[in-house]
Amino acid sequence: MANSLDPAATADDVKRINALLPVKAKILRITQETPDVKLFSISTLDEQLPFPVSPGQLVMLSVFGMGEAIFAASAGENCLEVAVKRVGILTEALHEAKAGQTMGIRGPYGNGFSLDIFQGRNLLFIAGGIGLAPVRSLIKHVLNHRKDFGHLQLIGGFRSPKDLVFKRELTEIWPVSEDFDVAITVDKAEEDWRGHVGYVPDLVKKLKPQLDETACILCGPPVMLKNTFNVLEELAFSPENIYTTLEMRMKCGIGQCGRCNIGSCYVCLDGPVFSLAQLRALPDEY
Amino acid sequence: MNQPLIIEMRTIAQKLLAARTVGTIIGWEKGSRWYLTPPAFIHNEDQVDRLYFDRFAVNNLAKYLLDYRDSDEKVAVFVKGCDSRGIIRLIQDNQVKKENIIVIGLPCAGMYDRAKVEDPENPHDLPLLNKCLECRYPNPVYADRLVGEVSVSSESGRPTGTYSGFATAQSVGSRADRRFEAVDTLNNLPSGQKALLWQTYAERCLRCYACRNICPACNCAGCIFDSDRKQWTTKAALQSANSFFLVTRAMHVAERCVECGECERVCPAGIPVMSLNRLVSKEINRLCGAYDAGIELKSSFPLSHFNLAVKVGS
Amino acid sequence: MKTLNKISLNSALEIFASYAPLYVPAGNETFSGFVRYSTGLEVRLDKNTKLGPKSLLFPRVENLYSYSNHGKDTEISPVPKEIEPTIIFGVRSCDLQAIVCLDDVFLSQTSRGGINDYNYRIRRGNAIIVALGCLEADGDCFCQSMGVDPSEHEQADLQLFDLGESFGVESHTAKGLNLSRLLENSGLLAEKKVAKPRPASFALTVDAQGITHKLQKMFDHSLWDELGAKCLNCGVCTYVCPACHCFDISVCAKDGCNGSTIRHWDSCMFSQYTEMAGGHNPRPGKKEKVRQRFLHKLRYFPERYGKFLCTGCGRCVALCPVNLDITEVIRRVKEAEIDG
Repeated sequence: MANSLDPAATADDVKRINALLPVKAKILRITQETPDVKLFSISTLDEQLPFPVSPGQLVMLSVFGMGEAIFAASAGENCLEVAVKRVGILTEALHEAKAGQTMGIRGPYGNGFSLDIFQGRNLLFIAGGIGLAPVRSLIKHVLNHRKDFGHLQLIGGFRSPKDLVFKRELTEIWPVSEDFDVAITVDKAEEDWRGHVGYVPDLVKKLKPQLDETACILCGPPVMLKNTFNVLEELAFSPENIYTTLEMRMKCGIGQCGRCNIGSCYVCLDGPVFSLAQLRALPDEY
Repeated sequence: MNQPLIIEMRTIAQKLLAARTVGTIIGWEKGSRWYLTPPAFIHNEDQVDRLYFDRFAVNNLAKYLLDYRDSDEKVAVFVKGCDSRGIIRLIQDNQVKKENIIVIGLPCAGMYDRAKVEDPENPHDLPLLNKCLECRYPNPVYADRLVGEVSVSSESGRPTGTYSGFATAQSVGSRADRRFEAVDTLNNLPSGQKALLWQTYAERCLRCYACRNICPACNCAGCIFDSDRKQWTTKAALQSANSFFLVTRAMHVAERCVECGECERVCPAGIPVMSLNRLVSKEINRLCGAYDAGIELKSSFPLSHFNLAVKVGS
Repeated sequence: MKTLNKISLNSALEIFASYAPLYVPAGNETFSGFVRYSTGLEVRLDKNTKLGPKSLLFPRVENLYSYSNHGKDTEISPVPKEIEPTIIFGVRSCDLQAIVCLDDVFLSQTSRGGINDYNYRIRRGNAIIVALGCLEADGDCFCQSMGVDPSEHEQADLQLFDLGESFGVESHTAKGLNLSRLLENSGLLAEKKVAKPRPASFALTVDAQGITHKLQKMFDHSLWDELGAKCLNCGVCTYVCPACHCFDISVCAKDGCNGSTIRHWDSCMFSQYTEMAGGHNPRPGKKEKVRQRFLHKLRYFPERYGKFLCTGCGRCVALCPVNLDITEVIRRVKEAEIDG
């Protein structure tokens, strides 16, 4: 068994040998999305895709000397895209990083969205803040396979107009995509804002999205999730047709460190994507 | 055990709950072994018969008042002498609002050392805990109510109350004057040996934080040892970090340790934690004059009050 | 059965120690655990140790890899793991059953996925476990109630039975047979016609039958409020538990550029265990933490791996500062009234 790693080892090799070892990667590009969110494009040192991820899956990023944290990842052309909101020490270190810096990456972790289930159906996306990141990776997949899916609708909520992440896609690309309705609301408007003002659950209630053959994909902070679940159920969505991705504190990503469990499920292994029906069968502890 | 005392405890608890003077009574109940009398939380009148007190009611209940730090709920808490010193410290540290608590003082005949239990099934005689042999304040130093004919006293002295004679016979406080002996013995070891001994202790430390979490003087809302985010130290139980923890903890309870000995009792690694506390309090006595923490509400503190007469480093 | 006279125990340990690093129970009333054997060390076999052998397979702290930052680039090097066998001598059934639980977690023997843990796999694969059967219970032992046979464990490489004057010796695996042969070749083993001793019935018993199922309906039960009030949220129970295995991964910086990433024990009792960077904490209070600990042992782990994550060693019962006794918790669960 190898005790040291061949520099040419792939992510798969590393994972086979030691799942907790990151592979070296580099920051290819950094895009400032909002005052506190940056989008990192991360590739291998020779600018290849570190490993494939499917929409909804997670990756563990390391800043050597600072630590690791888990994020939703989205596959780009030759890189993984990770949206990072500055909330703690590690994300702060990431925000300080410059393009070209070496970092560590391991994964992918978790189940991701089960794409077969959504095939042929209308999709209602609901996202709050940075919760748009995993939803966006699914939207990108859907738009790449547009004929496999029905009508699309996105309801996005943000703190204020300057907190809109993926703004170009939200305001320019998706609204003009085929059969795709986009509605955006902000908690607090500024003078030039002409869109909705208010919280996501209220906008969902107001818009009364259509139910037929529709699956709902929901991601955002816990309070938004719980309130929106209630609204969707009032609108007669069945819990089997509502999907969400959860965030928990994670250290290993492989169901061993113990902290991301909800009941006997580990969010890093059995999630992060759950249907509301599945969540209802689990303890309310997320 | 003293049945009349327990009945008196239950009666006072029942009255406080019936009158809705408090919502919770913190006391002790009989535990799952003959040698265990752990904390109990009584919320309504029909639970008061769970209250119990015997020579195993060793837990210092003052610590639990921190759980009510951010609430306006009124609670009553039973105290032995050492526990009451913890309450004074919490009030002095602004962790507990005096008007939100009712402190009920008990007579204490000293607590038994459960570590000396030989037969877990059948009760037998046990020696007193060292801290009780070394005790100088067996009576509550602060209380709103009293049971068992005990008197409040902020003077060091002999036990009062229903079984004062018994407590004296059992030698509560008999080693009070010699309470620094253990730390002196450790301190007088040749320096190489001393370092080696503490290295061994530091290696054993599991960083379970039982010593910290049971201590009424450890009342910070957050602790740097919980967090790896600021990187002051590592959460990992490395010997160097453990030494840092043990020393930091001792220094942080300086002038606040009420000598209840709970830290040492709960250490799963058998580290003589109280010796570290005593080492610090001995130094305070030497530098600033005799001082005991948590004796009087209005006292001045040797370390947090500046005094020109104190010559550190002498 | 092959037997080893107790007078020859030291000779046997010397033989083991010259074959591979040997860890044995040692210490006193204040503190005991598994320590590296060297000639003259007094082995403690009268009762189980205060700390179990868990840290030999799952160390309190271990390096995962070291890093070295130079400008924008970083070198990372995995810490090499020596592949040398280690003998763990005198492991009791409760602690061996706990190792079986750790195997489930770290070697992921479940259809629900997961990945082998490299470091654990190396250590476990190289460990030779010499188990010692118990005939009498210590004050807080209740392994029989948790389905563990105190007198022997099938996962032992070499099983010892206490026959009074001697130990019965039975090998279960090739690794065990190897050790047994070492003793045999030195003339330390005799062949005797003796029956395996059976343990006395344990005084402390608790009926754990069906509690996993019952706990499925008790997430919101008031029992957790009551237990949570008393709990101090220290980590004694989790750190002395032979089966608790939660860990944290963090950085141990040597200086601004160099350091290592380490894995170390963590506890579900601690305030930051589940706290997310933004401050949200799904298990914020004492109640939620206590509930997680007991549900993990008695409900979640059985649901996932088909066995209790409590093996009845009694250490948490003995050492909890506030007498939060898991056998009492099980009893309370059995007696609890639930809706539906």
